[in-house]
Amino acid sequence: MPDDEALDRRSFVKLAGGAAASAALAGCGGDGEDTPEGDGGDTATDGDGGDTATDAIDETDTVEETATDRPEPEDREGYLQRANLLLHERAPWVFLNRQFSVYGQNSDLDWDARRDELIAAADIGPGDDGSVTITQGQMDSGLDPHDHRETPTDNIVTQAHDGVLNRNASGEVIEGLATEYERLEEGLVEFTLRDGVTFHNGDDLAASDVAFSVNRIVDPEVGDLESPQSDQLAGVTGAEATEDLTVEVSSDGINPIVFQEFASYCDVVQEDWITEREASEINTDMNGTGPFRVTEYESDVRVEYEAFEDYWDGEPEVTELTMNAASEASTRVSRLLADESDIVVNVPPEEVQRVQDDDTTEVEAVPSTRVIFNAMRYDAEPFSSQQFRQAMNYAIDLDSIIENVLAGFAAPTGQPTLEGFVGYNPDVGPYDHDPDTAEQLVEESGHAGADITLETPVGRYLKDLEIAQAVAEYIDDLENVSCSVEQREFESLVGELTTGNIEDKPPFYLIGWGNTTFDATQTIIPLLTTGGALTSYEEDEDVDSAIEQAQSLPGGE
Amino acid sequence: MSLGRFLIKRTVHGVFVVWGVVTVVFGLRFLTPGSPVNAVAPLDASQELRQRIARDLGLNKPLYEQYFDYLFSLLQGDMGYSYLRGIEASTLVLGRVPATVELAVAASFIAVVLSIPLGVIAANRRHEPADYGATLFSLVGISTPNFWLGIMLILVLSVQFGLFPTSGRPLGLYPALALLVTEGAPGGLLRWLHHIFLPAVTLGTYFTALITRLTRSGMLDELGKSYVRAARAKGLPEALVRYRHALRNTLVPIVTVVGLQLGTLIGGAVITEAVFSWPGLGSFLIRSINVRDWPLIQGSLVVIGVSFVLVNIVVDALYAYLDPQVVTE
Repeated sequence: MPDDEALDRRSFVKLAGGAAASAALAGCGGDGEDTPEGDGGDTATDGDGGDTATDAIDETDTVEETATDRPEPEDREGYLQRANLLLHERAPWVFLNRQFSVYGQNSDLDWDARRDELIAAADIGPGDDGSVTITQGQMDSGLDPHDHRETPTDNIVTQAHDGVLNRNASGEVIEGLATEYERLEEGLVEFTLRDGVTFHNGDDLAASDVAFSVNRIVDPEVGDLESPQSDQLAGVTGAEATEDLTVEVSSDGINPIVFQEFASYCDVVQEDWITEREASEINTDMNGTGPFRVTEYESDVRVEYEAFEDYWDGEPEVTELTMNAASEASTRVSRLLADESDIVVNVPPEEVQRVQDDDTTEVEAVPSTRVIFNAMRYDAEPFSSQQFRQAMNYAIDLDSIIENVLAGFAAPTGQPTLEGFVGYNPDVGPYDHDPDTAEQLVEESGHAGADITLETPVGRYLKDLEIAQAVAEYIDDLENVSCSVEQREFESLVGELTTGNIEDKPPFYLIGWGNTTFDATQTIIPLLTTGGALTSYEEDEDVDSAIEQAQSLPGGE
Repeated sequence: MSLGRFLIKRTVHGVFVVWGVVTVVFGLRFLTPGSPVNAVAPLDASQELRQRIARDLGLNKPLYEQYFDYLFSLLQGDMGYSYLRGIEASTLVLGRVPATVELAVAASFIAVVLSIPLGVIAANRRHEPADYGATLFSLVGISTPNFWLGIMLILVLSVQFGLFPTSGRPLGLYPALALLVTEGAPGGLLRWLHHIFLPAVTLGTYFTALITRLTRSGMLDELGKSYVRAARAKGLPEALVRYRHALRNTLVPIVTVVGLQLGTLIGGAVITEAVFSWPGLGSFLIRSINVRDWPLIQGSLVVIGVSFVLVNIVVDALYAYLDPQVVTE
């Protein structure tokens, strides 16, 4: 059970604010609110509603008792599950789909795509000649592993670097450069590094290199860099090498997801190599401990690697690796079909058939870590009404959208947290498609006749405009609501979402959120709690409380 | 006026145009709302980084001083620093120039080599099958969208028949020529030709069709003029009349069009570059705009502007050679 006094408010707030930067590149969330929902008792009602929405929910949804009716959870995961149930009921979003990562690959390869969108070339079993070419949508924005926020750059730099911890294909935390990791006390964890690891220049890995890497990310005074990744190690305040192969990492508060963070982020660099070089050189060359060593780099064109023969986990089967890019999806697929590339990313639904029809290629699709949703600002009418928000969820036929717009390459959601993440609530399913209930809830909300506009970026997420149009059409089909779509330039929309002022945000917008920590908090805190950097839903004491309780408890380590 | 003075005059004009371009580009950063720092800093930049950028940009100095600093930096080849990419902007921008020039020149070369003979043949055989064929080709060429043609060429010639690579630029012309000269190895040059062929054809098709039509109509126009009748009456051979006199006069407006198109291709081959993953300046500029990397946007615009001016000076020189009256006028 949580000890209230152990709650670390500062840690909670830091985590909430820290995720802000994710918005720009992962696609972020919004802002909004209504009156706070009552804590406890039956399904909360809005002040302006008539009857409660409970009847409608009981009839049509899988949730038959509210989260606050249930006994106090016993552990962190229980609190996170409670938060997800609450959020399902209170419907701050129109819950849409979990995006899939869809790859085209040469059938000769032995490769399983990862859920975090990273392509670890060392895990690939190559074809006959041992060389592999991977084509992404764009190239890197520089090779400094701590000075970027995009997946394409991650995919390029992580071939040459290792993390302290790592993940397997299904997202579970596994050993990386550290063979042991433990929590010494609240706010202090220790990593024991493996012996015999060398950098590509032949120097041995030391604990000081790992400490330097951590500090370079979280401390702007270290390594002459304002790392845009500081929020990826949210809560971490610094690291210190205590022995040759032992590093202690301190956090502000208990930081329950510290090991999750190190499994996804913090590429380890060599301190001397970095400090002796100008930024321009660090951005055009790499010296890590990873499975591949750079042999040629042409900015915006390609990176070529060779297998690192002294790699601690054994020399990779792939002997030569090339990473290049083609922004046009049809060009990427053509490269695959012409045998110029072995793996291509982001195959859109309309190109899938071309890949499947060829005997030498196949489609690999895995659920990603990105959720697509329509945020509804809690402080803007008609979204200030919980019943109205629920109605929007009942109005849409999510299965049909996934089948017809996304060709089946997506999964429906009914809570902010994705399946397989810490805190996912298996008892909560998607809302049913029930226009009658939707119309009834709209009437009860007192907002019959509402005319709403869904703002959406175009081309940022897979079929984003088409999804928004389908959602708007379903809502518009309700007899008592009108809905239209407004297309927005992504950067401009993100600019409004990241001002820190809830009133700058559109009342109703489509956005996506990637969370590679595989932990519910890194979606809920920034997007759906009071004070969250990008929140559209505040002042729900039940949700805030559940998250605070969860953050006061250690993770599953 | 001598040819030399004419060219000097044009060059001086060009310098003023470049100055104007640079001034407008300098002003762009002040058109964005809020501080110019917002135009340069990444979206998630910290306050410390913003202060550093403000220092680097000299925003505490008077505007005129900032302007002259910018001018002098550009003269020294310094286009600023890309905080998003962690590298000098000039390194990235100028790194794109070779690919851009290669593609623009290759497309123009294909266009000129194909279109002028086609246009001449069509004019010489007016209302014959060759004329109809050339006219039909030019109509189709002008009507075909670049992106469709590029994708079709890839699907048919690359994916289906495997004759050409689908996309990419594995090496530039300069290293390919260097290999040829130093090691006598033509492999690099052949590889370069292999990769540039489809993008150049895609980019050059519209251009080819346009010049074919211009050449045909220009030739027909010239052949109907009195100096041609006089030349024929004088007993000059028909080939001399057509190719020495009529064609030369036809080329004057064509050179202008070629020059303008070449200038446009320097920064405007965005679609072809995207379809063929050709690392040129157009797609680079678009990507920089998408991420609002202002030093790269400004650097790209300056390079495109300067290229346009240079191409126009060369066109003026050719113009003067083909039509000496231009100089005296």
